[in-house]
Amino acid sequence: MADSSLPPPPPPPAPPVGQPADHVPPPPSADSRIETPLVGVYGVTKAFGDVVAVSDVSFTVGPGITALLGPNGAGKSTLFRMLCGLAAPSQGTVQILGKDARRDTAVRGRIGLVPQQDALFDRLSAQAFVEVAAITHGLDRPRERAAEVLGVVDLDPGERKPVGAYSKGMRQRVKLAAALVNDPDVIIADEPLNGLDPVQRKRMIALFRELGESGKCVLVSSHVLDEVARLGSDILVIAQGRLAATGNFHDLRALMDDRPHRIHIATNDPRALGAELLRRAIADGVRVIEDGVEFDTTDIEAFGLAIAPVARELDVHLNGLVPLDDDLESVFRYLVER
Amino acid sequence: MAGSVGLVRSTVVVFRVLLGQLRSPARLTGLGLLGVLSMVISWSVGSGADPSPVQHLDNATGVITLFTFTLVLPVIALIFGVGALGDARDDGTLVYLWVRPLNQISVVFGAWLAATVISLPLIVIPAALSALLLDAGSELVMATLVASALAVVAYSAVFVMLGILSRFAVVLGLVYVLLWEGVVASLGSIGAKMALRGYANSIVTSRTGVRTELANSAESTSIIIFAIVTVVALLLAAARLATLEVD
Ligand SMILES: Nc1ncnc2c1ncn2[C@@H]1O[C@H](COP(=O)(O)OP(=O)(O)OP(=O)(O)O)[C@@H](O)[C@H]1O
Ligand SMILES: [Mg+2]
Repeated sequence: MADSSLPPPPPPPAPPVGQPADHVPPPPSADSRIETPLVGVYGVTKAFGDVVAVSDVSFTVGPGITALLGPNGAGKSTLFRMLCGLAAPSQGTVQILGKDARRDTAVRGRIGLVPQQDALFDRLSAQAFVEVAAITHGLDRPRERAAEVLGVVDLDPGERKPVGAYSKGMRQRVKLAAALVNDPDVIIADEPLNGLDPVQRKRMIALFRELGESGKCVLVSSHVLDEVARLGSDILVIAQGRLAATGNFHDLRALMDDRPHRIHIATNDPRALGAELLRRAIADGVRVIEDGVEFDTTDIEAFGLAIAPVARELDVHLNGLVPLDDDLESVFRYLVER
Repeated sequence: MAGSVGLVRSTVVVFRVLLGQLRSPARLTGLGLLGVLSMVISWSVGSGADPSPVQHLDNATGVITLFTFTLVLPVIALIFGVGALGDARDDGTLVYLWVRPLNQISVVFGAWLAATVISLPLIVIPAALSALLLDAGSELVMATLVASALAVVAYSAVFVMLGILSRFAVVLGLVYVLLWEGVVASLGSIGAKMALRGYANSIVTSRTGVRTELANSAESTSIIIFAIVTVVALLLAAARLATLEVD
């Protein structure tokens, strides 16, 4: 198993296909990392039989927090697994610090992975569990180091209870502690905020930001836009295995606001209201249905400003207003189809 | 050599963790009962009518080789061997040993040690007690002790390997144990050479003088075969582990 004798992986740093290169935060200083991004994904496809989980994805990530945002089944975990070497891409190359973790076991020592699954070595205490992580990373003084990182995630190293008896939120923190034990350069956390209560969520977000600011590469996946917004991160939107959009939260928000919205208004006079909205070009594709109107609008702001005056003018009652596609799923669908 | 953590240190930690995971009360009870069952059978044979000392030794050896070695031993070794890494793979804890700067050899080796250490007492103690209860002399007791202990070592390695080769390892293992070793191996000499059971039986035969099924090698040959099987199985398992897709 001579890693060093393997031919170097194909050097692909062609600019990520179809992606603006400027979503990658510039490295903080002129050190050697400029040539080698902390994380590089180049033309990566992963298929499981007929299911294409990840499809021709390319991006690079530098220090700081980057969120991978996408709905269930988008391919986030598959991408993370490939980065850590747990799975091999069907096509393309993944690199951590310029190395392929699937072949290079040494580089695994510089990764901190928080896997999505909840499973832990259930019979161990939190302290013992994190100690195992420390020992398998070859650290000196594993006991002290484990106690230290448990403190970082607000867990008590003296707790004797096995982690199998921990709550979901505590297990998440045990996983995070184990991921931090080796002081990794690249932290890959798959939905780490799942199952945390609001207070803990806030603390963990602060911890991720701290790690990001200290120059580590922190990759966090989520399917909650709000979470990602609070991480204050660069965002990679992934949907149906493809990279659908990149940017910061504000870019994404703008993209989302620009898309057509479908709205349902319950009213006593759907015809009059529908006709007026059409006339004013606030809405297109108006459909009158028994107790209301349904329509699309591309300018949600203009609509918001106009609807109350219009109703007053026509003397119709507005009994309810429901955005029909304001869930994240439809946002993702829009981004993919765009 | 791949991996920057010392081989001994990582083997020991893997062993400790997996031994803890394997030690589930349900498994220990179920497989403990299998051992008790073998002792009950032995006791009834041992206390039964006694045709002649020679005939009795034949019968007693038959109980050990046909029940303990054919069923109890491989089934217990199968459950723990497959569980050692297979459980971690299925429940998703394998990542905590995989995304580490370790040599895969130490993971496989630690798993095999854990499986062997937990299977040994559960197999060897009931087997030796069965031989005692059969009341057919101390040679049979010693033969049973030695043969079962050596066989556990090799079976465990084979089943640890099977546990990461297939997600259906328990079923495949049962097919191997019951169909291959139990039936097919009795039909021809090539099949017989591929059955670990034959080498355990050979040790019994060479120590008691009683002819047993599939036994046609010297004790030293059996020991060498067990050793080779163990090493090869563990190396194959390590190679497979390195290319495994881990969830
Ligand atoms: N080992 C596997 N075998 C077969 N299909 C798989 C495997 N792993 C993932 N998939 C499929 O690949 C697709 C992407 O899955 P993945 O788990 O990467 O999505 P995700 O974005 O992490 O979703 P979630 O938010 O639910 O965790 C899904 O359709 C999934 O069913
Ligand atoms: Mg996932």
